[in-house]
Amino acid sequence: MENAIQVSGLRKTFGQQVAIEDVSFNVKKGEIFGLLGPSGSGKTTTIKILTGELKQTTGDVHVLDTDASSFDSTQFKSKIGILSDNSSLYERLTVYDNLKLFCKLYDAPLERIDVILEEVNLKNDRNKVVSKLSKGMKQRILLAKALVHQPELVFLDEPTSALDPGNVIHIHRGLQKLNEAGTTIFLTTHDMEEATKLCDRVAFLDNGKIQELGNPDELRFKYSTHDFHIETTMNEKLVLENDSKNADQIRDLIAAGKVKSIQSDKPTLGDVFLQLTGKELV
Amino acid sequence: MNTQRIGAIFEKDLKEFRKNMMLLMMPVIPIFLAIMYSRMGEGELPVFLLYLIVGATYSAVTTSGMMTMMAEENEKKTLRGLIQSPASLADILIGKSLVVGLFTFISLVISLAILGNDEFLAFQPIVGLILLFLFFLLLGIGIGLFTKSVANTSAYIMPVMFLFGFTPMIEFLNLGEDSIAIKIADYFPIMQMIDMHETNSWTAIGIVAIWVIAAAIFTFICLKKVSTDN
Ligand SMILES: Nc1ncnc2c1ncn2[C@@H]1O[C@H](COP(=O)(O)OP(=O)(O)OP(=O)(O)O)[C@@H](O)[C@H]1O
Ligand SMILES: [Mg+2]
Repeated sequence: MENAIQVSGLRKTFGQQVAIEDVSFNVKKGEIFGLLGPSGSGKTTTIKILTGELKQTTGDVHVLDTDASSFDSTQFKSKIGILSDNSSLYERLTVYDNLKLFCKLYDAPLERIDVILEEVNLKNDRNKVVSKLSKGMKQRILLAKALVHQPELVFLDEPTSALDPGNVIHIHRGLQKLNEAGTTIFLTTHDMEEATKLCDRVAFLDNGKIQELGNPDELRFKYSTHDFHIETTMNEKLVLENDSKNADQIRDLIAAGKVKSIQSDKPTLGDVFLQLTGKELV
Repeated sequence: MNTQRIGAIFEKDLKEFRKNMMLLMMPVIPIFLAIMYSRMGEGELPVFLLYLIVGATYSAVTTSGMMTMMAEENEKKTLRGLIQSPASLADILIGKSLVVGLFTFISLVISLAILGNDEFLAFQPIVGLILLFLFFLLLGIGIGLFTKSVANTSAYIMPVMFLFGFTPMIEFLNLGEDSIAIKIADYFPIMQMIDMHETNSWTAIGIVAIWVIAAAIFTFICLKKVSTDN
C-alpha cells in the first residue's frame, strides 16, 4: 500500500470534552507530513491515537497496514519510532546506557548507538550522565532514542521546541537525510518556518477538524492575493493587482528606473492559518 | 514474554538501583537489625525474632523496592517509553522483579548468616520463604502500578510493613489471648510461618499459598485496571 497512515472519520472525546471532532487524512509512504495547529487543537492526542497510546472514540485508523486494534503488537511497535511531547530519559544513567536499553528492547545492533549519536551531534557526550545535560541535549537524545532501531515511520511531537537555532538546523538536516533514505516522518509543530522547510504536506488542525491540507508552497500560493507590491525610488509604496491592465504601468515604472523593489504577495503558512481560522499559531 | 527484553530491563534497573541511595539503603536495614539482635541475645534467638528480620527484609526490600521503582518510572514519565517499545508489561515487571529478588536474596542471606541460625536450612522453610517472597513481591507490583510518585510510596509501605512485615509485634500490644485481632493475625502469612517451625505442618504452607493467590488476584485486578485506564 502506498499510504503509511490512513485516518478517516476520527473522533476522540474525553468525557464531555471533544478533543477531535472529525478528522480524515492520509500520509503517503516516504513523505514528511506536518500536523499544525494552536495549543490544545489535538495534535498530541492525534499522535497518541496513531501510536496506540490512546484509543479513538470512533473512526478508522490504519498505520503501516495495521488496524488500530493491533497497535500493541510487538511487530507494529518495532516498525515505528516515537518522540513524545514529554517523554524522558533515565537521569542516573549515561547517554550510552539509555540508548543501549532501547537498542536491546527493539532488537537493534549496539553499533547503531554511535551512528545515531553522530547524527544528533552528541558523539562526544556518550558517556555523560543524563542528569548533567542541557534540555536541548536531552531532546536530541530522545530523538536518537526514537530513531535507534531504524523505524519505517517516525512520530515526532514538536521535535525542535526546546532547541536553539543552530541545533534546529542540524536536526532538520538529519531529518531530511533520514527521509531521503526512505523513512516516513509525521511531525507536529508550532513553527511555520520548520513546516514550510521540511514538510511535503501539512494539515491545519483547529476546532477538532482539519481546516486545510496541502503542500506548503501550494497553500501559500492558493491563499495569496497575487498582488504586486512595488516600492519606488521616491519611497512610494504601490499595490497593483496581478492583471494585464496594470502591465503598462509596471513596465513604465521599470523603464523609467523608478522601481526600488518589486514583490508578489506570498503569505507565510502562519498568515494562511490566520486567514483560515482567525488564530495565530503560536 | 521475551528473555532478551527481560534481560535489558534487568540490566537497566540493576544499574539504576546501584545509583539510587534510597533503594540502596533498604537492603541494609535488615542486616543492621540482624547485627543488633546478634549482640543482644545469648544463644539461640526465638523464631519470632528471626521472622521480624524476614518481615523487615520482605517489606523494606521486596515490596518497597518494587513500589519505589514503579513509582519512579511513573513520576519521571519513563514508563511510557518502555510501553511504547516492543517490551510487554510482563517483560517490564519480570525484569524489575529479578532485580528486587536479587537484592532481597543478598540482604536475607547476609542477615540470617549474621544470626548464625540454621532453622531455615530445610526444604519446608525454604518453600515457605519463597512463597512469602512472592506474596510481598505481588503486593509491591500491585500497589506500584498505581503509585504516581516516589513521595507517595511511604504512605503505602507503612501499612504493608506493620500488617504483614511486623505481624508478630502484635504480641506487644497486650491485647490478651482471646482478642479477635490476635486470632485474625494468627492467620497472617508470617504468623503461619512461625507456626510451621513449631508444628512442621504443611497446612501452614498451604495458608501462606492462599495468601499468595490472594495477592496474585489483587495484582491482576490492578493490572487490568491500569491497562483499561483511558
Ligand atoms: N487525558 C486527557 N484527559 C482530558 N482531556 C485531555 C486529555 N488529553 C488531552 N485533553 C484535551 O484535549 C485537547 C487537545 O489536547 P492536545 O494535547 O492533543 O493538544 P495539542 O494540540 O497537542 O496542544 P499543544 O500544542 O499545547 O501541545 C485539549 O483541550 C486537552 O485539554
Ligand atoms: Mg501537544
